[in-house]
Amino acid sequence: MSLLELKHVYKIYGDLHALDDVNLKIEEGEWVAIMGPSGSGKSTVMNIIGCMDKPTKGEVLLDGKDISKESSQGLTEIRRDKIGLIFQQFHLINYLTALENVMVAQYYHSMPDEAEAMEALERVGLADRANHLPSQLSGGEQQRVCVARALINHPELILADEPTGNLDETNERIVLDLFRQLHAEGTTLIVVTHDAEVGASAERVITLEYGKVTSENGGTEFGKAARKDVI
Amino acid sequence: MKRSTMYLRMITASLARRKSRMLVALLAVTVGSTILAGLVMVYYDMPRQMGEQFLAYGANMIFVPSSDSDGMTSEEIEQAALNIEGDVEGVISYCYESATINDAPVVVAGCDLNATLETSPYWQIEGALPQAKGEILVGLNQADFFSLHVGDKVTVSYIPSDVKAAIEGENLNGEVEGKVQKEFTVSGLLDTGSTEEDYFFISEEDMAALTGETLTYDVTELRVNADSDALAASVERIQQAVPGVTPQLVKRITESQTTVLSKLSALVLLVTIITLALTMICVATTMTAVVTERRREIGLRKALGASDKSIMLEFMGEGLMLGLIGGLLGSLLGFGFAYLVSTNVFNSTITFLPALVPVTVFVALAVTALACIMPVRNATKVDPALVLKGE
Amino acid sequence: MFFRMIKGVLLRQKGKMFMIAFTIALGASLATAMLSVMFDVGDKVNQELKTYGANITVVAKEASVVDSLYEVDGASSIPTSYLKEADVGNVKKIFWAFNIVDFAPFIETHVNVGGKDAIMVGSWFNHHLSLDTGEELDAGVISMRSWWTIEDGRWLDEGQKGDADKVMLGTTLAQELGVSAGDTVKIACGKKSGEYEVVGIYNAGSDEDSEIFAPLDLVQDLSKTDGLITSIEVSAITTPDNELSRQAAKDPAKLTVAEYETWYCTAYVSSICYQLQEAIPDGVAKAVRQVAESEGAILDKTQLLMVLITILALIGSALGISNLITASVMERSQEIGLLKAIGAHDRAISALLLAEMIIVAILGGAVGFGVGYGFAQIIGYTVFSSSINLSPMVIPLVVTLVILVTLAGSIPAIRTVLRLDPAEVLHGR
Repeated sequence: MSLLELKHVYKIYGDLHALDDVNLKIEEGEWVAIMGPSGSGKSTVMNIIGCMDKPTKGEVLLDGKDISKESSQGLTEIRRDKIGLIFQQFHLINYLTALENVMVAQYYHSMPDEAEAMEALERVGLADRANHLPSQLSGGEQQRVCVARALINHPELILADEPTGNLDETNERIVLDLFRQLHAEGTTLIVVTHDAEVGASAERVITLEYGKVTSENGGTEFGKAARKDVI
Repeated sequence: MKRSTMYLRMITASLARRKSRMLVALLAVTVGSTILAGLVMVYYDMPRQMGEQFLAYGANMIFVPSSDSDGMTSEEIEQAALNIEGDVEGVISYCYESATINDAPVVVAGCDLNATLETSPYWQIEGALPQAKGEILVGLNQADFFSLHVGDKVTVSYIPSDVKAAIEGENLNGEVEGKVQKEFTVSGLLDTGSTEEDYFFISEEDMAALTGETLTYDVTELRVNADSDALAASVERIQQAVPGVTPQLVKRITESQTTVLSKLSALVLLVTIITLALTMICVATTMTAVVTERRREIGLRKALGASDKSIMLEFMGEGLMLGLIGGLLGSLLGFGFAYLVSTNVFNSTITFLPALVPVTVFVALAVTALACIMPVRNATKVDPALVLKGE
Repeated sequence: MFFRMIKGVLLRQKGKMFMIAFTIALGASLATAMLSVMFDVGDKVNQELKTYGANITVVAKEASVVDSLYEVDGASSIPTSYLKEADVGNVKKIFWAFNIVDFAPFIETHVNVGGKDAIMVGSWFNHHLSLDTGEELDAGVISMRSWWTIEDGRWLDEGQKGDADKVMLGTTLAQELGVSAGDTVKIACGKKSGEYEVVGIYNAGSDEDSEIFAPLDLVQDLSKTDGLITSIEVSAITTPDNELSRQAAKDPAKLTVAEYETWYCTAYVSSICYQLQEAIPDGVAKAVRQVAESEGAILDKTQLLMVLITILALIGSALGISNLITASVMERSQEIGLLKAIGAHDRAISALLLAEMIIVAILGGAVGFGVGYGFAQIIGYTVFSSSINLSPMVIPLVVTLVILVTLAGSIPAIRTVLRLDPAEVLHGR
């Protein structure tokens, strides 16, 4: 059984078909990149997988359970228990320290545990910045706090929306290295991006265009193709 | 770590690190609470304080001898005064005697003149109250009639009642045996615009010397700070307890005070209500603005898996903390205001009403809680994705 | 473009702008209501204090020695002097006529009623006056002895035919005579006498309880003093005394011309007395200190109390408004950062924000003024049963207050926001 499966998913806003019969299967432990130009429906897929939105039509199976029929309360619980989110704009709570931001995720999930949160920060290399406020951290550091927050509850799925969109190359590499480690440990990763290098790092690349899946292939080949496009 | 510890940590972090915004909110709550506590305290204390001002109108209760007695003794008066409910702010007893000056009949009143400062604060005196023996205060009408000025000498003649009875029907003017004559110095002229201007006033000692008898009093004026019910009750008690004294309320003063004071209370009450209502709405809008600003954060918390309930709890926690601090601060500042009013307007102090603190805090809590609920609920209704994407 | 941006903010951020306008309206209405009440409370309370009765009495010049003295030896040889009834109307013709809210002539005489000596007082009860000014007034004992209670029967009613030869008795006298309402009493004055019906027994709580009150004409007829009165009681709204008025009361001739003008044209009790003396030949007008002095004290206290409450309310609404404006300006730091990033000058941004706030403030303030005036009327009608006059001072005060508070709320916030680095603001830190 796949970890996540989208069956004939449609998302329609008025006349606009943001998603048009999307079918997807993502296995446990996979690292998948979802790519495509703006307006292709990447964000809509991301929101639906991340339990922040529901499809107009079709089934979304997470662990074999159809989440498209869940109430918003139910979605909140699934999001809390199974998904770790990483955002382009980081979205840290600006009046909490790095450590406390990680602990907030623990707090909503189960029990806040300072030692465990500290470990997560150590893992992203920010142990010495634990008591800094977001405004005292660089963009890359903020995103690493975000990664630590996403993995603190050991989610089945880490969902990242343009995780490197606001980062310079050095920080992009640090974040990608983290993703590689997580992948090696067997975490399922879904990265929504239009950055070719980020896409190339993934095992598999799914390309969306006008709300439809236009190609599904191994990362490396696509990566090359994408790089060719850029050149 | 316990969940509650983290909860507290989040709330205190929000309050302590979002300084400017929280100050704005705290200021709003404090101002609201100050106005609540201050106005309520002033309203609560106003009848007493204003009542004291109304005493400026003079005596509101008088004692007169009961119909079967000739005069009241000082013991009787003292005993009657003990039966009064409320603060007796001033007592003065008058002993009126008929006398003659230059063979013209006059009325001389013997009393403790310094007590008039308390009972008749409206008296205007040109010159001074008699302080030494042999000094006399002259009503303005009599001063005109006899052409008396401050410092002039005047001779008062008194015919004791037994002498008078003995020579019934004869001409009392001129030389009469047994007539007492005493010379007084005019120390002041009395201007009241009413009947007092027709009398002469001397001290009790001089009166006793003039009549050669122990004084019995014809009327006692009292200034009592009490409401009309307490005054009426006092009258009944005295009637029962002291038979020689007939107490009466000066209706002109008591009735009018009730009318005017109730209007003034209504005025302050209405002003308080309107000010409070408007201020509380003001506090609520400010709180709402401060919370609305945090929609994005609410969206993030939802994305992290927070239930609507726990978000509500956190924001309420912050709101309640602000309400608590603001309410306590407001109670203190409000007392400060009431104290200011009391000392500036009424020249007296005010007692702190401890019961008002919990009430103020409770209202502050209720207003902040209500003000938080609306925007937080609106924010939690929106999909987190929409909030997180942009404004 | 400037106006387009302002329009954009005002129209598209309706919710927020509405909230600011709403708060300003609240503050402005509070300020309007409190200031209106504050400026008018003096007059209103003064009216209420009229329940204490007359604060001025006018008597004839030679009438300085009073009845109580004659009684001393029963020597009634000294003639009492009188005022002319025809002069009573002059009371309402003085400079401060508008401040005179009530007045009544009195005639007193000694009578023998049912074998007892008593004082009989003739006066108006509810005498209807239609003045040249168009003012309508019911003057007399009913309003000037508001503290009297009717123990039995009813008030004399001048409007009722047949009441012209009826009388009212004080409780003490009625008890002594064993008379109740509806009975007739025989009253003799000198050689004249007659039988009169008692319509009511009053309780005055004073010496008046042993007196008889009757219509003016009746008493004049009995005592053969047609067209004469002994005194006029006047209830006037006065300004509390100060140094000038006390000085003037002693001798107006000692004042300088300017001081005299000020004194004459201020409603001090002494200047009203002075004017009454001018209007009533042979009359001496005296301030009833008990009423006049105390009125001043209570008036001062009430006004001071209202001033302090108003100040508190004004501070409250000022803080409330400026607080909300500060919050809402800070909320827009991102937008301001963006404007800076695309090259807007600080001054341009400030001008934009200030213009927005002022427009919102004017709209909110205008609405608030209307609402506040309404609140003032509610207070006026609930407490004093009359409308609160809008003092011309209120409008400029409220306008100044709203604009100052808006500026005070916006400027520090705008400065804080402008100091921020646009890059940081845009990254949402």
